[in-house]
Amino acid sequence: MAGGVPDIQLRRITTDSDIVAARKLGRNIAESLGFSRPDQALVATAISELARNIVNYAGKGEIQIAVIQDTKGAGILVRASDQGPGIKDLSKAMQDGFSTGNSLGLGLPGTKRIMDEFDISSQPGEGVLVVAAMWCKP
Amino acid sequence: MSDVVSSSITGNLADTTTHANALADALAWFDITASDQEERRRLSGIAEQMAGEIIEAFYDHILSFDQASKHFQDEEHINRVKRAQVRYFEEFVSADIDDAYIENRRLIGRIHEQAGVTPTLYIGAYAFYMHRLGHVILDKLAEKPEEAFRLMLALLKISHFDMSLALETYVETREETIQNRERELSELPTPVLKLREGLLLIPVVGTLDSHRARSLTVELLEGIREHRAQVVVLDITGVAGVDSAVANHLIQSMSAARLMGAASVLTGISAEVAQALVKIGVSGQQLNTAGDLQQGIKIAEKLIGT
Repeated sequence: MAGGVPDIQLRRITTDSDIVAARKLGRNIAESLGFSRPDQALVATAISELARNIVNYAGKGEIQIAVIQDTKGAGILVRASDQGPGIKDLSKAMQDGFSTGNSLGLGLPGTKRIMDEFDISSQPGEGVLVVAAMWCKP
Repeated sequence: MSDVVSSSITGNLADTTTHANALADALAWFDITASDQEERRRLSGIAEQMAGEIIEAFYDHILSFDQASKHFQDEEHINRVKRAQVRYFEEFVSADIDDAYIENRRLIGRIHEQAGVTPTLYIGAYAFYMHRLGHVILDKLAEKPEEAFRLMLALLKISHFDMSLALETYVETREETIQNRERELSELPTPVLKLREGLLLIPVVGTLDSHRARSLTVELLEGIREHRAQVVVLDITGVAGVDSAVANHLIQSMSAARLMGAASVLTGISAEVAQALVKIGVSGQQLNTAGDLQQGIKIAEKLIGT
């Protein structure tokens, strides 16, 4: 437990309102951990991007938000998973401006820029798993 | 643990692609084994007689509560429900637990939900029924209490499975209602306000999904044409969850306005969100943002040239 927040929170993501709820949850957890306001917004935006990818490309999935602890201090871990069509070419998907939908193509590379840690894995036909984390800066 | 619950049972039961697996998973989750299914069949021969014994006491119990008895109109209705109850019991002790069984149980849940039977009434009534059944079984197998206990355990597992199916339909109905509300909200027209000659203000409120964004673009363009607007101020103070997708919708709406000959100014992005968008890679130029609404209107007036 950190600041009264359960260590792991899970949200099913299927609709736009789930995206808003997930980002709000992330922002609240970031706030309770003492993240600065700009960093809270960064966490919220990253969760938003990941959740939106789930809604737009997989239809449904899950966002897990966990409080983590390290020698560097406290942080937030975001785990976005779906069982959607997956990503054919990961290196392309991580390039700015690449999109198979009609989007800006900033979601994944942007999230990577925002977060301190970022890891993505995907097999075509088996969905996408993104694990990203941000540490609380003193 | 929560993975098992949320994805295998609640999520996938309705999903046809993983149907067979989902059924097996669900039975495994409730620990309903083949021998449990077999165990209860020993009652199928005497199902009607047993159901009769329990059902009388069951309805005496239910009808003694105002909350519950209001769900029954008259004798005829009660008799009809009693007959359905006998059928339910026969299936309970003999039917294969398959897709048809599940669909039937879900249908019963939907009927209860629509009739306004609360989960408390539903579970309480089911529990009373099971307790009565326990007494009847113990009487019948008085010489073999171990067998009676095993049989009762098997029936309890199946009753919990039944209850979960019925209650899932409650949750689904609520979710459907919420989604309908959200759809209605997202279909609310966005107001296009004429501040003065050539200057429009569009306050956008709620979540900006793609459907909403499309209608925003339409209203924006129609507003520009109708009012011969030169500048439009888009205020997104009330938009929840601004990210690159929302920014993209706004960029597209604003480019469309540009093609109609109107400039647009975006207001209502908080400093934090603005920073986050820039870090993600949305460039401020594409969006032509102003700090707050007041400043946005000033910029707009300058653009008109007064």
